[in-house]
Amino acid sequence: MNSKKTINTQGCNRLLSLLALLALVPFQLSAESARLPAGPSGQALAFTCAGCHGTDGSSVGPSMPAIAGMDPEVFVDAMKAYRQDERNPSIMNRIAKAYTDEQFEAMGWFFASQRLRLFPQPYDPRLAEQGARLHDDYCEKCHENGGRPGDAGTLAGQWMPYLHFTMEDFISGKRKWPRKMQRKVDAAIEEAGGDAIPALVNYYGSQQ
Amino acid sequence: MPRRMATAGVVCLLATLLGAMIVPAALATTQPLGGTTEPDEGLMIDNFDPETGKRIIPNERCLTCHGDEQQKTDVRDDGSPVTIFVHSKQIENSVHGSQQCTSCHVTIDRVPHRKAPAVVVGCVECHRETWEQHKDDPDGEYARLAVVNEQIDSYMQSIHAQPNALDQSHTNATCYDCHDGHNVGELGSIQRSEFRLKNPQVCGRCHEEALDEYRTSDHGKAVLEEGDSEAAVCSDCHSTHEIAPTETDKAQLAITQHCGDCHQEAQRTYFDSYHGQVHRLGYTEAAKCHDCHGGHLVKSEDDPTSEIHANNRLENCRNCHENANKNFLSFWPHGDANDPENYPDLWAFKVFMETLIFAVMGFFWIHVLLWLYREVMDRRQGKGFNEDLSKPDLVYYRRFPAVWRWIHFLFAVATMTLILTGTTLLFSHTAWAKAVVDFLGGIRMEAIIHRTAAVIWLSIFILHLVLAIRNIRRNRATFEWFGSTSLLPNWKDLQDLKDMFKWFLGFGPRPQFNHWTYWQKFDYWAPFWGAMVIGLSGLVLFMPGITSLVLPGWSFNIANLVHAEEALLAAIFLNSVHFFNVHFRPERFPMSTAIFTGVIPIDEFKHDHRLEYDRLVENGELEKHLVQRPSRRASLAASFITTVLIMAGLALLTLVLIGLVTAPS
Amino acid sequence: MTPLNRRTFIQAAGGGAALATLGFPSLVLGAARRVVVVGGGVGGCTAAKYLRKLAPDIAVTLIESKPAYTSCFMSNEVLSGDRTLQSLTFGYDGLRGYGVEVIEDSVVGIDPERKRVQTAGGSRFDYDACIVSPGVGFKWDAIEGYDEQIANQSIPHAWYAGPQTQLLRNQIESMPEGGHVIIVAPPNPFKCPPGPYERASQIALYCKHHKPRAKITILDAKDAFSKQGLYIEGWTKLYGYGTDDSMIQWVSAAQGGAIEGLDASTRTLVGLVEDFQGDVVNIIPPQKANAIAFAADLVDGDWCPVDKRTFESTRHQHIYVLGDASSASKMPKSAYAANSQAKVAAAAIAARFQGKEPGDPTFVNTCYSIVGEDFGISVAAVYSLDAETNSIEPIPGSGGVSPANASPEIRKREVSYAHSWFKNVINDMMK
Repeated sequence: MNSKKTINTQGCNRLLSLLALLALVPFQLSAESARLPAGPSGQALAFTCAGCHGTDGSSVGPSMPAIAGMDPEVFVDAMKAYRQDERNPSIMNRIAKAYTDEQFEAMGWFFASQRLRLFPQPYDPRLAEQGARLHDDYCEKCHENGGRPGDAGTLAGQWMPYLHFTMEDFISGKRKWPRKMQRKVDAAIEEAGGDAIPALVNYYGSQQ
Repeated sequence: MPRRMATAGVVCLLATLLGAMIVPAALATTQPLGGTTEPDEGLMIDNFDPETGKRIIPNERCLTCHGDEQQKTDVRDDGSPVTIFVHSKQIENSVHGSQQCTSCHVTIDRVPHRKAPAVVVGCVECHRETWEQHKDDPDGEYARLAVVNEQIDSYMQSIHAQPNALDQSHTNATCYDCHDGHNVGELGSIQRSEFRLKNPQVCGRCHEEALDEYRTSDHGKAVLEEGDSEAAVCSDCHSTHEIAPTETDKAQLAITQHCGDCHQEAQRTYFDSYHGQVHRLGYTEAAKCHDCHGGHLVKSEDDPTSEIHANNRLENCRNCHENANKNFLSFWPHGDANDPENYPDLWAFKVFMETLIFAVMGFFWIHVLLWLYREVMDRRQGKGFNEDLSKPDLVYYRRFPAVWRWIHFLFAVATMTLILTGTTLLFSHTAWAKAVVDFLGGIRMEAIIHRTAAVIWLSIFILHLVLAIRNIRRNRATFEWFGSTSLLPNWKDLQDLKDMFKWFLGFGPRPQFNHWTYWQKFDYWAPFWGAMVIGLSGLVLFMPGITSLVLPGWSFNIANLVHAEEALLAAIFLNSVHFFNVHFRPERFPMSTAIFTGVIPIDEFKHDHRLEYDRLVENGELEKHLVQRPSRRASLAASFITTVLIMAGLALLTLVLIGLVTAPS
Repeated sequence: MTPLNRRTFIQAAGGGAALATLGFPSLVLGAARRVVVVGGGVGGCTAAKYLRKLAPDIAVTLIESKPAYTSCFMSNEVLSGDRTLQSLTFGYDGLRGYGVEVIEDSVVGIDPERKRVQTAGGSRFDYDACIVSPGVGFKWDAIEGYDEQIANQSIPHAWYAGPQTQLLRNQIESMPEGGHVIIVAPPNPFKCPPGPYERASQIALYCKHHKPRAKITILDAKDAFSKQGLYIEGWTKLYGYGTDDSMIQWVSAAQGGAIEGLDASTRTLVGLVEDFQGDVVNIIPPQKANAIAFAADLVDGDWCPVDKRTFESTRHQHIYVLGDASSASKMPKSAYAANSQAKVAAAAIAARFQGKEPGDPTFVNTCYSIVGEDFGISVAAVYSLDAETNSIEPIPGSGGVSPANASPEIRKREVSYAHSWFKNVINDMMK
């Protein structure tokens, strides 16, 4: 209800805050910590991630997902899942247990405020082409715009080894499928067999 | 020192401005090497509302799945199929075209949906709030919301807004059960006429039986088979939002009212009928349109399955009149006294009655006006009869024995009661009629009161007849049928009438009268006649079962007509002409209490009944009619009762006149 | 999920805007704030980069004696031959891209009164804040007969990646089949606690393929070590640990692993219980803060005490000591710890320059070790400051090492995580 009649003004507000944010990226963080005396700021928390996920979340390590520009709610979902040991254990299970929901949210906002930088990675053009078709048929509705960052995570330009790990975890049952995803993946595999997952991963990796 | 500070201030300001320009440049130098940055199409946070932190979900995002014509269905988590398609073009063309999907679907916060989404849409709140915000807008862009909010208020009172008896967590029906929120058209749009034609199906989703019946009806065939959007759909009869349970008076009254939106003539004649009159006052047991025509099954009388087909009619009547016999079939449910072609008998009665009313009233109102004129003129000239109030009469003439005074009192009260309760039917269109019915405790109570008063009234009439006959028998030796004390009209009355008119117009002296003046005789015989007519027709209506054994059905129409017309005549005559003759003419103004004290001053008797006075003096009989002046207490009581009755009579006259003036043509 | 608190975020940003505009002290006063960073390792580089990111108006100068940085973490892979030394070496152009002035010189003194840094090359650098991140130095006198010259020539410590690492690799390669490698592990605290054991693992990985009868003995000054359970699980699985034929042997202090002296000519190590002779000997000496920390009077005992909210020295104002040289208990001396501390210090300095109080710090340490082929392990910890005791405490319930007896697939993934981790740490510190 709240957003309904004020779409236009909201648009303006959004634009203004965006401009404000862009102009003030270097300052907002300390300001935030000044305003929020209880505990470390979202920026301070997010800075500690950079050793594994790259500066501001733009990872250069192929096994570590890029988290810059990530959907903040997807981020929080992921962190909560790690904290509750609902994903195939990695170092993240141990790290996520250190944070509160509010800290996850603060970090989520920080990464959502960053621009994702993508780094070229080798891929198989033939598989990528096949993957593009599979993506359009089975994945695009949730992972819209070729899997660009959104409420279904970041696939486009994501590191391929990380994507492979993720799909292995889904298929082996070590990570819970999101609603409807299993059906779609099964259908893609039915169509393209063993090539389906590599094709999709190569397609996402090809977007650089 | 101060000067230096001022300079420093200016420098600070400039430096701040400079800083604002430098910052972006400085930022540029800190961009790291390597990698391709996302194009400048905004940041992820732009997808969130800065005010609320809520995700902004553009409609296109929703339509990715919900607008896909190739895949209009999806499967639920339990594997069952579900239609997810919404017609984006339809939405764009609807009144909600510029809304965000999530403005209404407020629970949708994630796309793709993490949980199976529940359709939770709060139409009411939004329309109310929007109207509150925009009702004073000068451009009137939101003007239609005024109507929408009225509809909402109606809906909130309706049965549809009540919790469902089997599942209290839901209302019986909510906005989007009937309205396709994605396809609400502007006024006059194609969507609206399509929506109208779909109305039976929409209602039929829940009211299946009603729809099945409706399909077979003339209305249903026209709408569903011929696509005639002019023919009645559910909401035309049941209303759109103010829907009450059909067993309630409210719903039945509304439905009957709505029939007339199209069938105006039928409704007019129905409301003129006894059924219609009592129904309109809230007596919903009386036959309504759908009782005879079949609500959802309404068909023309040619259709053998129609409830009003000749073969089915008696059965139809028996729904209410259990013992109805064949005579009922000749009743004219929509009998129209204004229609000489189809209902010549009824028309004739009406013409007769109205002629009578106009003649009597016309004559006597002229009589009243002229009399008034004459007395006023005489008084101006110092002539005429003037009671000397400083020397009140000590001697009175005894004119009415106690029994007649009681009879007149009871008769007057009963008559007024009958007028009041009866005219509510006759003028059931008026607000006062409904107020009176409410005051009396409802139409059912009123019916009891009317009938009770009628019984008393008739009993008094009969009692008076018995007494009169007994008196005549007792005095049969001396009683002269056309003598000076008889109420029977005679030639002298005609002569008196002529002389009165001469006097009115200044062409002669005031005539001298016997014991009964001609107007007093008329005041007697008019109600006498009225009592016969009203009484007989009333009995016919009172006991339809018994009277139908001997009378044809249309006699009810006639009885209803004459009962009302004669009652009208009596009500107007008694409360105007009779009141003038007895109370209001200047000689008597403000009132005569004679009918309650039973006596009049001897001077007044001498003035009004000179011939009788002279006769009594001549015969030496005057003495035995003379009495003492009534006690002060008796005078006061009589004045009080008279005042009350006069006031009541005038009030009734007013109500009747209001009813007549406002009567629908 | 509750809506994220974006409103607060925006308000904070807006407030920051106002404050930033009003309190642009450097620009308003016409003099840029200057930070001098001593040391081009993980701590120094990260601090320099993040200072520029946080406050582009601060002038940052980094002074480092070497022309390029060579990473110690992952340098054990050079010993197995999986990696070249060159792959660990990175120039400072990335930092220059952030506007950091990088000077190749070595600092010989810091004058806390004048706030000035003196270099061997004779230059002086004035600072408003100085960051000192010099790394560890060695206690040469702890093992009799061992000194810097021997280390450079014959018995390398290889605890700074560089020529000694290559020397050690060469010695192992030229060692005869069935040869004996001895690694002397130092007592706590020392830099990279799992390092000696990963080193043993990487040498074993080489020997398994090229000299399968070789033996590796770790002579330890301690009775326990970092990720011990996981190492032993890996050694057991990969190198027959626990059997008579084990390629790796670990001699704890209690078992006589503590070493007191060295006969360099015979590569004989003198222990308390017995002596050990090896074909290749690698001595990792006991450690303390590097020399410049002592020269600048920043040390108390072996290490530099700091206020752990900001990493400012408790001995001299405006000087911040990061990384291995600082006394940052309970954080280990690791690359990731230095990286994390550097961001805290950079944010604190940027805040103070804007006249604000530094915010609450938060720290993370992660460390991957590669035990062998497809066998990676990790440790992680998240810390917060206990301001009352000036102690950096792990957050209860979080952190820890990789699960014991994890699936081969997880162990394999941790190898790839280790390599990605390496790339990202390097990226975050200097690219």
